[in-house]
Amino acid sequence: MAPPQDSSQPRLAAGCRWGGTEEDRVILFPEGAIKLQGTGREVLERCDGQRTFGEIIANLQKEFSAADPAKIRDDISTFLEQLQKRRIVDY
Amino acid sequence: MVPNPLALIAEVTHRCPLHCVYCSNPVQLAGTQSELSTDEWRSIFQQAGKLGMLHAHFTGGEPLARTDLTELIAAARASGLYTNLITSGIGLSEPRLKTLVDAGLDHIQVSFQDSREDSANWIAGAKAHAHKIELSRAIRQHKIAFTVNLVVHRQNLDHLEEMIAFIEQMNPERVEIAHTQYYGWALMNRAALMPTRAQLEKAVEIVAGAERRLAGRIRIDSVVPDYYAKYPKACMGGWGRRLMLINPAGRVLPCHAAEIIPGLEFENVRERTLEWIWRESPSFRRFRGEDWMPDPCRSCDRRSEDFGGCRCQALLLTGDPAATDPTCSLAPKHHVIEAAVLEANSDAAAAKPATASSFVQLQQQTAALWNYRTNPD
Repeated sequence: MAPPQDSSQPRLAAGCRWGGTEEDRVILFPEGAIKLQGTGREVLERCDGQRTFGEIIANLQKEFSAADPAKIRDDISTFLEQLQKRRIVDY
Repeated sequence: MVPNPLALIAEVTHRCPLHCVYCSNPVQLAGTQSELSTDEWRSIFQQAGKLGMLHAHFTGGEPLARTDLTELIAAARASGLYTNLITSGIGLSEPRLKTLVDAGLDHIQVSFQDSREDSANWIAGAKAHAHKIELSRAIRQHKIAFTVNLVVHRQNLDHLEEMIAFIEQMNPERVEIAHTQYYGWALMNRAALMPTRAQLEKAVEIVAGAERRLAGRIRIDSVVPDYYAKYPKACMGGWGRRLMLINPAGRVLPCHAAEIIPGLEFENVRERTLEWIWRESPSFRRFRGEDWMPDPCRSCDRRSEDFGGCRCQALLLTGDPAATDPTCSLAPKHHVIEAAVLEANSDAAAAKPATASSFVQLQQQTAALWNYRTNPD
Protein backbone atom coordinates (compact mmCIF):
# COMPACT_ATOMS: atom_id res chain seq x y z
CA MET A 1 0.00 0.00 0.00
CA ALA A 2 1.35 3.41 -0.94
CA PRO A 3 1.53 6.68 1.01
CA PRO A 4 -1.02 9.40 0.07
CA GLN A 5 -0.49 11.34 -3.17
CA ASP A 6 -0.89 15.11 -3.41
CA SER A 7 -4.23 14.54 -5.14
CA SER A 8 -5.51 11.99 -2.56
CA GLN A 9 -8.53 13.05 -0.56
CA PRO A 10 -8.11 11.50 2.87
CA ARG A 11 -11.20 10.79 4.96
CA LEU A 12 -12.27 8.64 7.89
CA ALA A 13 -13.00 5.05 6.79
CA ALA A 14 -16.50 3.56 7.03
CA GLY A 15 -17.53 3.04 10.64
CA CYS A 16 -14.88 5.40 12.06
CA ARG A 17 -16.03 8.68 13.54
CA TRP A 18 -15.35 11.45 16.02
CA GLY A 19 -16.52 11.03 19.61
CA GLY A 20 -15.72 12.07 23.15
CA THR A 21 -16.02 15.64 24.42
CA GLU A 22 -14.71 18.92 22.98
CA GLU A 23 -11.69 18.87 25.34
CA ASP A 24 -11.19 15.14 24.94
CA ARG A 25 -11.75 14.41 21.27
CA VAL A 26 -11.31 10.82 20.17
CA ILE A 27 -11.62 8.89 16.94
CA LEU A 28 -13.83 5.87 17.54
CA PHE A 29 -13.30 2.76 15.45
CA PRO A 30 -14.20 -0.94 15.77
CA GLU A 31 -11.42 -2.10 18.09
CA GLY A 32 -10.96 1.03 20.15
CA ALA A 33 -10.40 4.74 20.22
CA ILE A 34 -7.47 7.12 19.73
CA LYS A 35 -7.28 10.26 21.78
CA LEU A 36 -6.21 13.09 19.52
CA GLN A 37 -4.48 16.22 20.64
CA GLY A 38 -2.33 18.84 18.98
CA THR A 39 -1.15 18.16 15.47
CA GLY A 40 -2.84 14.78 15.10
CA ARG A 41 -6.19 16.40 15.73
CA GLU A 42 -5.35 19.30 13.38
CA VAL A 43 -4.56 16.82 10.62
CA LEU A 44 -7.58 14.56 11.01
CA GLU A 45 -10.01 17.45 11.30
CA ARG A 46 -8.90 18.43 7.80
CA CYS A 47 -9.40 14.90 6.42
CA ASP A 48 -12.95 15.51 5.24
CA GLY A 49 -12.79 13.73 1.89
CA GLN A 50 -12.91 17.13 0.14
CA ARG A 51 -9.50 18.66 0.75
CA THR A 52 -6.57 17.03 -1.01
CA PHE A 53 -3.48 15.79 0.77
CA GLY A 54 -1.51 18.55 -1.01
CA GLU A 55 -3.88 21.23 0.30
CA ILE A 56 -3.79 19.84 3.84
CA ILE A 57 0.03 19.83 3.83
CA ALA A 58 0.29 23.38 2.43
CA ASN A 59 -2.21 24.61 4.99
CA LEU A 60 -0.40 23.02 7.93
CA GLN A 61 3.00 24.15 6.69
CA LYS A 62 1.66 27.69 6.80
CA GLU A 63 0.11 27.20 10.24
CA PHE A 64 3.29 25.70 11.73
CA SER A 65 5.73 27.88 9.81
CA ALA A 66 8.42 27.53 12.49
CA ALA A 67 8.83 23.82 11.68
CA ASP A 68 10.72 22.33 8.74
CA PRO A 69 8.15 21.97 5.88
CA ALA A 70 9.72 18.75 4.59
CA LYS A 71 9.47 17.21 8.02
CA ILE A 72 5.81 18.24 8.32
CA ARG A 73 5.07 16.51 5.02
CA ASP A 74 6.91 13.32 6.02
CA ASP A 75 5.33 13.14 9.45
CA ILE A 76 1.80 13.62 8.17
CA SER A 77 2.30 11.18 5.34
CA THR A 78 3.53 8.50 7.76
CA PHE A 79 0.72 9.25 10.19
CA LEU A 80 -1.97 8.83 7.52
CA GLU A 81 -0.35 5.73 6.07
CA GLN A 82 -0.36 4.07 9.49
CA LEU A 83 -4.01 4.91 10.02
CA GLN A 84 -4.80 3.61 6.56
CA LYS A 85 -3.21 0.26 7.43
CA ARG A 86 -5.42 0.08 10.49
CA ARG A 87 -8.42 0.83 8.26
CA ILE A 88 -9.23 4.04 10.12
CA VAL A 89 -8.45 6.39 7.22
CA ASP A 90 -9.03 5.96 3.48
CA TYR A 91 -7.43 7.98 0.70
CA MET B 1 -8.92 5.70 42.20
CA VAL B 2 -10.01 3.07 39.69
CA PRO B 3 -9.89 4.33 36.07
CA ASN B 4 -13.20 4.31 34.19
CA PRO B 5 -14.20 1.24 32.18
CA LEU B 6 -13.76 1.57 28.42
CA ALA B 7 -16.46 -0.65 26.99
CA LEU B 8 -19.69 -2.41 27.75
CA ILE B 9 -20.42 -5.91 26.50
CA ALA B 10 -24.19 -6.18 26.23
CA GLU B 11 -25.26 -9.82 26.16
CA VAL B 12 -28.84 -8.94 25.30
CA THR B 13 -30.16 -12.51 25.06
CA HIS B 14 -28.89 -16.07 25.22
CA ARG B 15 -31.41 -17.22 22.61
CA CYS B 16 -29.67 -18.21 19.36
CA PRO B 17 -30.69 -19.91 16.11
CA LEU B 18 -27.19 -21.38 15.80
CA HIS B 19 -25.77 -24.15 17.98
CA CYS B 20 -22.04 -23.66 17.48
CA VAL B 21 -19.97 -26.29 19.21
CA TYR B 22 -17.40 -23.71 20.36
CA CYS B 23 -19.88 -21.20 21.83
CA SER B 24 -18.35 -19.07 24.58
CA ASN B 25 -21.64 -18.71 26.47
CA PRO B 26 -21.87 -20.50 29.79
CA VAL B 27 -23.31 -24.00 29.66
CA GLN B 28 -25.88 -22.70 32.17
CA LEU B 29 -27.72 -20.17 29.98
CA ALA B 30 -29.89 -17.29 31.22
CA GLY B 31 -33.60 -17.97 30.66
CA THR B 32 -35.81 -15.87 28.41
CA GLN B 33 -38.14 -14.89 31.26
CA SER B 34 -35.37 -13.14 33.16
CA GLU B 35 -34.22 -10.93 30.25
CA LEU B 36 -33.85 -7.19 30.88
CA SER B 37 -36.48 -4.90 29.37
CA THR B 38 -35.89 -2.18 26.78
CA ASP B 39 -36.06 0.51 29.47
CA GLU B 40 -33.63 -1.33 31.70
CA TRP B 41 -31.11 -1.49 28.86
CA ARG B 42 -31.73 2.19 28.08
CA SER B 43 -30.76 3.08 31.64
CA ILE B 44 -27.64 0.90 31.40
CA PHE B 45 -26.44 2.70 28.26
CA GLN B 46 -27.02 6.09 29.86
CA GLN B 47 -25.04 5.05 32.90
CA ALA B 48 -22.29 3.63 30.67
CA GLY B 49 -21.98 6.90 28.74
CA LYS B 50 -21.77 8.90 31.96
CA LEU B 51 -19.12 6.52 33.29
CA GLY B 52 -16.99 7.45 30.27
CA MET B 53 -17.36 4.19 28.36
CA LEU B 54 -16.82 4.51 24.61
CA HIS B 55 -18.06 1.28 23.03
CA ALA B 56 -21.14 -0.91 23.36
CA HIS B 57 -20.70 -4.41 21.95
CA PHE B 58 -24.04 -6.10 21.32
CA THR B 59 -23.73 -9.82 21.59
CA GLY B 60 -25.62 -12.85 22.85
CA GLY B 61 -26.80 -15.47 21.96
CA GLU B 62 -28.03 -13.77 18.85
CA PRO B 63 -28.85 -10.09 19.51
CA LEU B 64 -31.25 -10.08 16.53
CA ALA B 65 -33.51 -12.42 18.51
CA ARG B 66 -34.53 -9.28 20.45
CA THR B 67 -37.35 -7.53 18.59
CA ASP B 68 -36.34 -4.22 20.25
CA LEU B 69 -32.75 -4.28 18.97
CA THR B 70 -33.24 -1.11 16.91
CA GLU B 71 -34.32 0.78 20.03
CA LEU B 72 -31.38 -0.62 21.99
CA ILE B 73 -28.88 0.48 19.32
CA ALA B 74 -30.46 3.93 19.17
CA ALA B 75 -30.33 4.23 22.97
CA ALA B 76 -26.65 3.28 23.08
CA ARG B 77 -25.81 5.70 20.31
CA ALA B 78 -27.78 8.50 22.01
CA SER B 79 -25.67 7.89 25.12
CA GLY B 80 -22.53 8.61 23.12
CA LEU B 81 -21.43 5.00 22.63
CA TYR B 82 -19.92 3.47 19.51
CA THR B 83 -22.19 0.58 18.58
CA ASN B 84 -20.96 -2.81 17.47
CA LEU B 85 -23.26 -5.70 16.55
CA ILE B 86 -21.74 -9.17 16.84
CA THR B 87 -24.07 -11.45 14.94
CA SER B 88 -24.64 -14.64 13.00
CA GLY B 89 -26.81 -12.58 10.66
CA ILE B 90 -29.74 -14.95 11.11
CA GLY B 91 -32.82 -12.78 11.49
CA LEU B 92 -31.32 -9.88 9.55
CA SER B 93 -33.12 -8.93 6.34
CA GLU B 94 -32.05 -6.02 4.16
CA PRO B 95 -34.83 -3.73 5.46
CA ARG B 96 -33.98 -4.58 9.07
CA LEU B 97 -30.30 -3.89 8.41
CA LYS B 98 -31.21 -0.48 7.04
CA THR B 99 -33.30 0.25 10.14
CA LEU B 100 -30.35 -0.63 12.38
CA VAL B 101 -27.95 1.54 10.38
CA ASP B 102 -30.43 4.44 10.51
CA ALA B 103 -30.66 3.96 14.29
CA GLY B 104 -26.89 4.52 14.54
CA LEU B 105 -25.16 1.18 14.07
CA ASP B 106 -21.43 1.84 13.54
CA HIS B 107 -19.96 -1.62 13.04
CA ILE B 108 -21.18 -5.10 12.26
CA GLN B 109 -19.23 -8.25 12.88
CA VAL B 110 -20.41 -11.45 11.19
CA SER B 111 -18.96 -14.83 12.05
CA PHE B 112 -18.33 -17.54 9.49
CA GLN B 113 -17.85 -21.15 10.55
CA ASP B 114 -16.06 -22.24 7.37
CA SER B 115 -15.70 -21.41 3.67
CA ARG B 116 -17.34 -24.72 2.73
CA GLU B 117 -21.08 -24.68 3.13
CA ASP B 118 -21.60 -28.24 4.38
CA SER B 119 -18.87 -27.97 6.94
CA ALA B 120 -19.96 -24.50 8.09
CA ASN B 121 -23.52 -25.67 8.67
CA TRP B 122 -22.27 -28.76 10.44
CA ILE B 123 -20.20 -26.73 12.91
CA ALA B 124 -23.05 -24.26 13.51
CA GLY B 125 -25.65 -27.01 13.79
CA ALA B 126 -27.85 -24.92 11.50
CA LYS B 127 -28.20 -24.04 7.82
CA ALA B 128 -26.91 -20.50 8.08
CA HIS B 129 -24.00 -20.22 5.66
CA ALA B 130 -25.80 -19.18 2.46
CA HIS B 131 -27.72 -16.44 4.24
CA LYS B 132 -24.50 -15.03 5.71
CA ILE B 133 -22.98 -14.67 2.24
CA GLU B 134 -26.07 -12.91 0.96
CA LEU B 135 -26.12 -10.64 3.98
CA SER B 136 -22.46 -9.69 3.57
CA ARG B 137 -23.28 -8.26 0.14
CA ALA B 138 -26.07 -6.18 1.66
CA ILE B 139 -23.79 -4.90 4.42
CA ARG B 140 -21.37 -3.43 1.87
CA GLN B 141 -24.17 -1.20 0.58
CA HIS B 142 -23.95 0.77 3.82
CA LYS B 143 -21.30 3.07 5.24
CA ILE B 144 -20.59 1.07 8.36
CA ALA B 145 -17.50 -0.86 9.38
CA PHE B 146 -17.61 -4.57 8.52
CA THR B 147 -15.57 -7.26 10.23
CA VAL B 148 -15.67 -10.95 9.45
CA ASN B 149 -14.92 -13.26 12.29
CA LEU B 150 -13.47 -16.65 11.40
CA VAL B 151 -13.51 -19.07 14.28
CA VAL B 152 -10.81 -21.65 13.66
CA HIS B 153 -10.08 -25.04 15.20
CA ARG B 154 -9.08 -28.61 14.44
CA GLN B 155 -11.99 -29.22 12.07
CA ASN B 156 -11.41 -26.30 9.70
CA LEU B 157 -7.80 -25.08 10.12
CA ASP B 158 -6.55 -27.28 7.30
CA HIS B 159 -8.24 -25.03 4.76
CA LEU B 160 -7.51 -21.65 6.32
CA GLU B 161 -6.06 -20.36 3.07
CA GLU B 162 -9.30 -21.13 1.30
CA MET B 163 -11.26 -19.46 4.12
CA ILE B 164 -9.25 -16.24 3.83
CA ALA B 165 -9.72 -16.17 0.05
CA PHE B 166 -13.45 -16.71 0.60
CA ILE B 167 -13.62 -13.78 3.04
CA GLU B 168 -11.64 -11.51 0.72
CA GLN B 169 -14.49 -11.52 -1.80
CA MET B 170 -16.75 -10.01 0.84
CA ASN B 171 -14.48 -7.03 1.11
CA PRO B 172 -14.61 -6.34 4.86
CA GLU B 173 -12.23 -3.81 6.44
CA ARG B 174 -11.22 -6.39 9.02
CA VAL B 175 -10.91 -10.12 9.55
CA GLU B 176 -10.56 -11.58 12.97
CA ILE B 177 -9.06 -15.04 12.98
CA ALA B 178 -10.17 -16.29 16.34
CA HIS B 179 -8.83 -19.54 17.66
CA THR B 180 -11.36 -21.32 19.80
CA GLN B 181 -10.97 -20.65 23.51
CA TYR B 182 -11.95 -23.40 25.86
CA TYR B 183 -14.72 -22.27 28.15
CA GLY B 184 -18.34 -23.36 28.35
CA TRP B 185 -19.37 -25.40 25.33
CA ALA B 186 -15.92 -25.30 23.75
CA LEU B 187 -14.28 -26.87 26.79
CA MET B 188 -16.83 -29.65 26.70
CA ASN B 189 -15.89 -30.21 23.04
CA ARG B 190 -12.16 -29.57 23.40
CA ALA B 191 -10.96 -32.94 22.11
CA ALA B 192 -12.77 -32.34 18.82
CA LEU B 193 -11.67 -28.70 18.51
CA MET B 194 -8.09 -28.38 19.66
CA PRO B 195 -5.68 -28.11 16.72
CA THR B 196 -2.45 -30.03 16.38
CA ARG B 197 0.87 -28.21 16.57
CA ALA B 198 1.43 -28.87 12.87
CA GLN B 199 -1.95 -27.32 11.99
CA LEU B 200 -1.15 -24.29 14.09
CA GLU B 201 2.32 -23.72 12.65
CA LYS B 202 0.97 -23.87 9.13
CA ALA B 203 -1.82 -21.46 10.07
CA VAL B 204 0.66 -18.93 11.48
CA GLU B 205 2.52 -18.97 8.14
CA ILE B 206 -0.68 -18.55 6.14
CA VAL B 207 -1.81 -15.63 8.28
CA ALA B 208 1.56 -13.88 7.93
CA GLY B 209 1.37 -14.26 4.15
CA ALA B 210 -2.20 -12.94 4.04
CA GLU B 211 -1.27 -9.97 6.22
CA ARG B 212 1.42 -8.95 3.76
CA ARG B 213 -0.78 -9.49 0.74
CA LEU B 214 -3.81 -7.65 2.15
CA ALA B 215 -2.04 -4.76 3.93
CA GLY B 216 -3.99 -1.53 3.51
CA ARG B 217 -7.05 -3.40 2.25
CA ILE B 218 -8.07 -5.84 4.96
CA ARG B 219 -6.63 -5.71 8.43
CA ILE B 220 -6.12 -9.14 9.97
CA ASP B 221 -6.25 -9.68 13.71
CA SER B 222 -5.07 -13.03 14.89
CA VAL B 223 -3.71 -14.39 18.14
CA VAL B 224 -1.88 -17.64 18.87
CA PRO B 225 -4.19 -19.87 20.94
CA ASP B 226 -3.10 -19.80 24.56
CA TYR B 227 -2.61 -23.57 24.98
CA TYR B 228 0.29 -23.25 22.54
CA ALA B 229 1.64 -19.94 23.83
CA LYS B 230 4.47 -19.43 26.28
CA TYR B 231 2.62 -16.88 28.39
CA PRO B 232 -1.08 -16.45 29.12
CA LYS B 233 -3.34 -13.95 27.42
CA ALA B 234 -4.19 -10.68 29.19
CA CYS B 235 -7.75 -11.88 29.64
CA MET B 236 -10.22 -8.97 29.15
CA GLY B 237 -7.23 -6.62 29.51
CA GLY B 238 -7.21 -7.45 33.22
CA TRP B 239 -10.04 -8.26 35.66
CA GLY B 240 -12.20 -5.17 36.28
CA ARG B 241 -9.77 -3.02 34.39
CA ARG B 242 -11.40 -2.12 31.07
CA LEU B 243 -14.65 -3.98 30.49
CA MET B 244 -18.03 -4.68 32.02
CA LEU B 245 -20.31 -7.41 30.73
CA ILE B 246 -24.04 -7.41 31.39
CA ASN B 247 -25.70 -10.78 30.93
CA PRO B 248 -29.29 -11.11 29.65
CA ALA B 249 -30.64 -11.25 33.20
CA GLY B 250 -28.80 -8.10 34.30
CA ARG B 251 -25.92 -9.65 36.17
CA VAL B 252 -22.74 -7.62 35.81
CA LEU B 253 -19.58 -9.62 35.16
CA PRO B 254 -15.92 -8.84 34.49
CA CYS B 255 -15.91 -11.42 31.63
CA HIS B 256 -18.06 -13.89 29.71
CA ALA B 257 -17.48 -16.86 31.97
CA ALA B 258 -17.01 -15.36 35.45
CA GLU B 259 -20.32 -16.67 36.77
CA ILE B 260 -18.77 -20.13 37.13
CA ILE B 261 -16.37 -18.91 39.82
CA PRO B 262 -17.63 -20.19 43.17
CA GLY B 263 -17.75 -17.84 46.14
CA LEU B 264 -18.24 -14.69 44.06
CA GLU B 265 -21.58 -12.92 44.09
CA PHE B 266 -22.30 -10.81 41.05
CA GLU B 267 -24.46 -7.74 41.38
CA ASN B 268 -27.49 -7.05 39.21
CA VAL B 269 -28.17 -3.76 37.42
CA ARG B 270 -31.71 -4.04 38.74
CA GLU B 271 -30.34 -3.39 42.23
CA ARG B 272 -27.13 -1.40 41.88
CA THR B 273 -25.70 1.30 39.64
CA LEU B 274 -22.97 0.46 37.14
CA GLU B 275 -20.70 2.96 38.82
CA TRP B 276 -21.07 1.36 42.24
CA ILE B 277 -20.55 -2.10 40.77
CA TRP B 278 -17.43 -0.94 38.93
CA ARG B 279 -15.85 0.87 41.87
CA GLU B 280 -17.12 -0.87 44.97
CA SER B 281 -18.47 -4.35 44.32
CA PRO B 282 -16.47 -7.20 45.90
CA SER B 283 -16.71 -9.21 42.66
CA PHE B 284 -15.00 -6.53 40.53
CA ARG B 285 -12.39 -5.92 43.22
CA ARG B 286 -11.62 -9.58 43.83
CA PHE B 287 -8.92 -10.00 41.14
CA ARG B 288 -8.28 -6.36 40.29
CA GLY B 289 -4.70 -5.13 40.56
CA GLU B 290 -1.91 -7.31 41.97
CA ASP B 291 -2.71 -7.94 45.62
CA TRP B 292 -4.49 -11.23 44.95
CA MET B 293 -1.63 -12.70 42.90
CA PRO B 294 0.09 -15.92 43.90
CA ASP B 295 3.65 -16.85 43.04
CA PRO B 296 5.12 -16.86 40.44
CA CYS B 297 2.92 -13.94 39.24
CA ARG B 298 3.50 -11.56 42.12
CA SER B 299 7.21 -11.26 41.42
CA CYS B 300 6.99 -11.68 37.63
CA ASP B 301 8.00 -8.87 35.27
CA ARG B 302 5.04 -9.68 33.06
CA ARG B 303 2.39 -9.21 35.76
CA SER B 304 1.40 -5.78 34.44
CA GLU B 305 1.14 -7.17 30.89
CA ASP B 306 -0.89 -10.34 31.32
CA PHE B 307 -2.37 -9.76 34.82
CA GLY B 308 -1.83 -13.41 35.70
CA GLY B 309 -3.92 -14.61 32.75
CA CYS B 310 -7.49 -15.85 32.94
CA ARG B 311 -9.26 -16.52 36.25
CA CYS B 312 -11.91 -18.75 34.71
CA GLN B 313 -9.32 -20.88 32.97
CA ALA B 314 -7.42 -21.20 36.24
CA LEU B 315 -10.61 -22.43 37.92
CA LEU B 316 -11.63 -24.78 35.13
CA LEU B 317 -8.25 -26.44 34.78
CA THR B 318 -6.75 -26.28 38.29
CA GLY B 319 -9.83 -25.94 40.51
CA ASP B 320 -8.50 -22.67 41.96
CA PRO B 321 -9.59 -19.32 40.45
CA ALA B 322 -6.68 -17.55 42.20
CA ALA B 323 -4.00 -19.78 40.68
CA THR B 324 -1.64 -18.65 37.93
CA ASP B 325 -3.31 -19.36 34.57
CA PRO B 326 -1.99 -22.86 33.74
CA THR B 327 -1.33 -21.87 30.11
CA CYS B 328 1.68 -19.94 31.46
CA SER B 329 4.86 -21.95 31.04
CA LEU B 330 5.89 -20.77 34.53
CA ALA B 331 2.67 -21.89 36.23
CA PRO B 332 2.94 -24.62 38.90
CA LYS B 333 0.07 -26.48 37.17
CA HIS B 334 1.28 -26.03 33.60
CA HIS B 335 1.37 -29.82 33.30
CA VAL B 336 -2.41 -29.89 32.72
CA ILE B 337 -1.88 -27.87 29.55
CA GLU B 338 1.06 -30.01 28.49
CA ALA B 339 -1.13 -33.09 28.90
CA ALA B 340 -3.90 -31.57 26.74
CA VAL B 341 -1.38 -30.58 24.07
CA LEU B 342 0.17 -34.03 24.12
CA GLU B 343 -3.23 -35.64 23.72
CA ALA B 344 -4.20 -33.36 20.83
CA ASN B 345 -0.99 -34.29 19.06
CA SER B 346 -1.03 -38.03 19.69
CA ASP B 347 -1.92 -40.45 16.93
CA ALA B 348 -4.63 -41.84 19.15
CA ALA B 349 -6.36 -38.45 19.48
CA ALA B 350 -10.12 -38.82 19.71
CA ALA B 351 -10.91 -36.53 16.82
CA LYS B 352 -9.29 -36.39 13.44
CA PRO B 353 -9.94 -33.34 11.31
CA ALA B 354 -13.16 -33.91 9.39
CA THR B 355 -12.74 -35.98 6.26
CA ALA B 356 -16.34 -36.27 5.14
CA SER B 357 -17.57 -33.80 2.59
CA SER B 358 -21.35 -33.79 2.63
CA PHE B 359 -23.58 -32.36 5.34
CA VAL B 360 -25.30 -35.73 5.82
CA GLN B 361 -22.01 -37.61 6.20
CA LEU B 362 -20.71 -34.98 8.58
CA GLN B 363 -23.81 -35.21 10.74
CA GLN B 364 -23.40 -38.96 10.99
CA GLN B 365 -19.91 -38.45 12.43
CA THR B 366 -21.20 -35.94 14.91
CA ALA B 367 -22.93 -37.80 17.71
CA ALA B 368 -19.75 -39.09 19.29
CA LEU B 369 -17.65 -36.09 18.35
CA TRP B 370 -19.26 -33.16 20.12
CA ASN B 371 -22.25 -31.57 21.83
CA TYR B 372 -24.13 -28.77 20.16
CA ARG B 373 -25.00 -25.66 22.16
CA THR B 374 -28.61 -25.79 23.27
CA ASN B 375 -31.05 -22.92 23.89
CA PRO B 376 -32.20 -21.43 27.20
CA ASP B 377 -35.71 -22.17 28.56
